[in-house]
Amino acid sequence: MSIEKAYILLSIGLFLIGLLGVIVRKNLITILVSTELMLNGINLALVVADKVIGRVDGQIMAFFVLTVAAAEVAVGLGLIVAIFRLKGYEGSSEITQLRD
Amino acid sequence: MEWLIFAVLGTWLIVSALGVVFVKNPVHSILFFLSSLLAMAGIFISLGAELLAGIQLIIYAVAIVVFYVLVITTIPWEKVKRFEGFYKKELIISAPALVILFILMAYMVLKGKFATPVGVIKDNVREVGKTLFTSYLFPFEVASVILLVAMVGAILLGRREEG
Repeated sequence: MSIEKAYILLSIGLFLIGLLGVIVRKNLITILVSTELMLNGINLALVVADKVIGRVDGQIMAFFVLTVAAAEVAVGLGLIVAIFRLKGYEGSSEITQLRD
Repeated sequence: MEWLIFAVLGTWLIVSALGVVFVKNPVHSILFFLSSLLAMAGIFISLGAELLAGIQLIIYAVAIVVFYVLVITTIPWEKVKRFEGFYKKELIISAPALVILFILMAYMVLKGKFATPVGVIKDNVREVGKTLFTSYLFPFEVASVILLVAMVGAILLGRREEG
């Protein structure tokens, strides 16, 4: 087994751990942190693919993933704060309807 | 040597990722996330992506983590206390499914073949910069527009309703 395959397996494991966090966590903020873990796993897979092929396109994709992660964090945390202030909800099981 | 670095950083990464998912307190969870980001930056350096490791440290480990902690401090603590930890039933159902998914994907990776390399990167930072500002110039500008839209949206969502 080459080292690149081991790194790909590591990235798959990180992605699935993040997915597990999205499924099982109660707190909305920790759900967002778990999505960040998933994005990190994707970044690792892109960088390893770069090392395999010998180009830099994957790192640029990872750069854009990072940009989108920053945007997602801004909007997501804004949404969470708005949900908390309007409704007082903090757990994912409390949110059962979208309307007022 | 390569495998030693992989073993140390990979164990560090997986342990801190599991800590993010299974630790009770949200603040501790974010600290575990910070630790996993540091391990990830080390992995990027060992894979030869120095620019991305630096960006990872600057944007993720500084900006995003500080933003999370800032938002946690604005929410009253007793409200956060009511919803910490994880759902037990969902964990029992989803963990075996995800393990099976991992085994399937690992089988695919181990049996498959990688593409043949087309070249060797000598100077990583120079190559990334050159490619980013020639082939990927338009997506770069679109990314800046995305950040602007996210900023406007965050301000719009975060302001108080005055009436």
